[in-house]
Amino acid sequence: MAESAVLADSRRCCFFLYDSSKVQEEGDLTRDGIYYFYPEDTPIDQQELLCGQLAGVCRCVSELSSSPVRLLRLRKSKYAVRMKDNFLWALSCSVEIPDVSICDVLDQLIALFCFYNGPVRQSYQLYSQEELALRWARYLHHLQGGSTELHSIFSCLRTIDSTNIDPLLLLKAALILQACQRCPLVLAGCILYRGRVMSTQMPPALTVKVMVYETQTYSQDNRVSVNGLSSSVGSAASVTVTTQVYLTPSELNMIRSPPVERACRSHCNPPPCQPRKSRLSRTLSDTPTSDTDSSSLDALQCPPVSYQTMPSSPRSSLSDEPYFSPSPSRGNTPLHSNLLNQSEYFNSESHDHQTALKEQSLTESLNRKQDTDTNSESESKSEGLNSDQDVQSEEIKALTNGFQELNSHENHASDNDEQIQSTADKLESDSHVTSKNGKLRGEMEARTMSKQADRRHQDKYKPTSRLSPNETTEDPSLLPSILYQHRVRGLVLALLVEPEFNTDPAAREEVQHSSLASLNGLEAHLRNTSQGTPGPPGPYTFAHYDCIQNTLTTNVCGRSVGPQDRAFLRATALLHSHFSHLDTLQEAIVRNSGSAVYATRSTAQETYFLQQGTPVRNSGSPDPQDSAFSLPRKARQRLLKHGVNLP
Amino acid sequence: MSSKSSLLKVILLGDGGVGKSSLMNRYVTNKFDAHLFHTIGVEFLNKDLEVDGRTVTLQIWDTAGQERFRSLRTPFYRGSDCCLLTFSVDDSQSFHNLVNWKKEFIYYADVKEPESFPFVVLGNKLDVSERQVSSEEAQEWCMESGGYPYFETSAKDATNVAVAFEEAVRRVLSLEDRHEHLIPTDTVNLHRKPRSATQCC
Repeated sequence: MAESAVLADSRRCCFFLYDSSKVQEEGDLTRDGIYYFYPEDTPIDQQELLCGQLAGVCRCVSELSSSPVRLLRLRKSKYAVRMKDNFLWALSCSVEIPDVSICDVLDQLIALFCFYNGPVRQSYQLYSQEELALRWARYLHHLQGGSTELHSIFSCLRTIDSTNIDPLLLLKAALILQACQRCPLVLAGCILYRGRVMSTQMPPALTVKVMVYETQTYSQDNRVSVNGLSSSVGSAASVTVTTQVYLTPSELNMIRSPPVERACRSHCNPPPCQPRKSRLSRTLSDTPTSDTDSSSLDALQCPPVSYQTMPSSPRSSLSDEPYFSPSPSRGNTPLHSNLLNQSEYFNSESHDHQTALKEQSLTESLNRKQDTDTNSESESKSEGLNSDQDVQSEEIKALTNGFQELNSHENHASDNDEQIQSTADKLESDSHVTSKNGKLRGEMEARTMSKQADRRHQDKYKPTSRLSPNETTEDPSLLPSILYQHRVRGLVLALLVEPEFNTDPAAREEVQHSSLASLNGLEAHLRNTSQGTPGPPGPYTFAHYDCIQNTLTTNVCGRSVGPQDRAFLRATALLHSHFSHLDTLQEAIVRNSGSAVYATRSTAQETYFLQQGTPVRNSGSPDPQDSAFSLPRKARQRLLKHGVNLP
Repeated sequence: MSSKSSLLKVILLGDGGVGKSSLMNRYVTNKFDAHLFHTIGVEFLNKDLEVDGRTVTLQIWDTAGQERFRSLRTPFYRGSDCCLLTFSVDDSQSFHNLVNWKKEFIYYADVKEPESFPFVVLGNKLDVSERQVSSEEAQEWCMESGGYPYFETSAKDATNVAVAFEEAVRRVLSLEDRHEHLIPTDTVNLHRKPRSATQCC
């Protein structure tokens, strides 16, 4: 079978983009449909074998079930799958990686590509396959390389290690961003140091995309650093670059209505339509829930404003070709805390597919869904109901263009997020239990989502994707934007700016004047910060995942991964995927004969804890003396000093 | 002489709010913002200029004046070629604190010969009508402390700002020239000043 042929080494990842519109007739060659295949040195006949078979299976299953394939499970590996128009993306990994993680990575990969290249179809018209192959490889490498296993489990942002950094410097970074945001045409920014996030005003999913570029240029550091700016403002080691990028309408909406007060802007911005809290830029230590709340309010209350201020009309040349807007029945991945953006590529309705008939059936399925939901969400019945109603009203509103009933989203933002995640994972539900038992591995198994569940999942996303009613009735298209980057050695200021920025020297100058001195200083501070030897690892291992900011705190990194860490990683992967299946699951302990890992989660965070050295007294039956029962208390005590506050 | 490395590091010290950042911004970008936030730690800008036929790159380090930022700023005193002690003419306390700033600088910059180190004193906010420090008072202190040049500046309306920075450069250059005359070229100087380190990179 293709599996054994191509993936003799199952650890090696495999990724391809296949365009089935190129292979219609009997005589058409499969290779014509293969736009990109990784590993690139795979013999073409093996590529054809795999692409042909997977594409066939996906098409067959999705036509039978009227819903897209999201995950294909093979004996030794599994494939996250995305289907859109005639495109098929597939990314493989070994079976140990949680479904939710591999699906995340694939979604990120596609989102990355579109961020830098625009809609897929269009980019393949503009650039050669060879050129785009380089980019796919680069994005793939970025998402997979360099991150630890824990990072890939949670697919989270890489942040600077703030333990040795004066908190004042984090404040300084946040203030630099705030100063830049006050400049005309600047939307939002983030500051990266040596390829890691120091401070960001962007939602996590957008920060990830900006970082790729940073990683690309970071490797060329030496070449770049000799360039100078104009002598009036430049310093020898700094350089600025602007790049064309593409944002989804909701991303743009979100960063156009940031929490920061913009009264002092000289031009280009909509007047705030409600009093906003004046506050510092978002830093890693902020809880962004209030931010998202306020922006959700904005999006809901004044969508016309955001349309008025769009630099290019939504009906630009791009609008014919939204890069990823599957029909309502297409599946979604749980996207953790990427509650704002990433979902959009996949959940925004593609109305070319959406006939009135579908709209109708959709409302019906929503009604049915409500019944099932109330059964399944024992934890917060009323909330589940409410958000469903919101969602439903949003659907109706999408038809009628009214949106007055959407008033309670902000209360549910985080709840929804969690529910989204878990709902989505239910779709793949039994998988983990079964794969643990190894029962279903024997044969190839195509997983599809039930239409109803998918519908629900999609709806769950809607409140967070902040599509204005106008947008939901149009093709969401990618909107051009500019990524401005200013590098001072290892420090990078990345700003998303309006497209006019490139032709407005005054705007550029203002950004430089308001940031250059501070960036120089911040870089000098960071360079002089001694890395400090990490203290001896405690007698415990932990990982703390912030679902909202998509960040991870752990003491596993930097240490050699020993057998106990390996057990911890496996347990964490398992528990993480269980958490994503079961939204009512709050605490769990997994154990083997030698160790036990305790996990707890709330709507905003997941924490995993392993106490080392203590033999687990395990009688095999419930026993009050069982040492595993003391784990929650130990975790609470130990993690306090890492700033993790468990309930 | 023109082949000589010409990156000069000057550092602005003085109480919080006397206008150090504004002076730097006025000089380098010719802009003035009345609502600058406290500087956190240090910041710097480079500016190329020509003084008496010599081209130099002036690296102006702006520091946080508040006491709570002391540990952040002091590591960056080392290697300074010139120190601009800054006070505000409408704040006598900031003037009286100059002596403390001088001490702090000499201590943390590890200046070997404090007597000959080029300090320049700036009385900023000349545009403010209510003065608390008279010109004579300031000049007297400068004379007593070691004959430092004194400039009354206004970052707001750009009075004397460029003149002051250029004078700082002249001081440094003339000091260097003197050193060069003293040291024969065929000897190895084992007691090189820390500045030599910045010259090679």
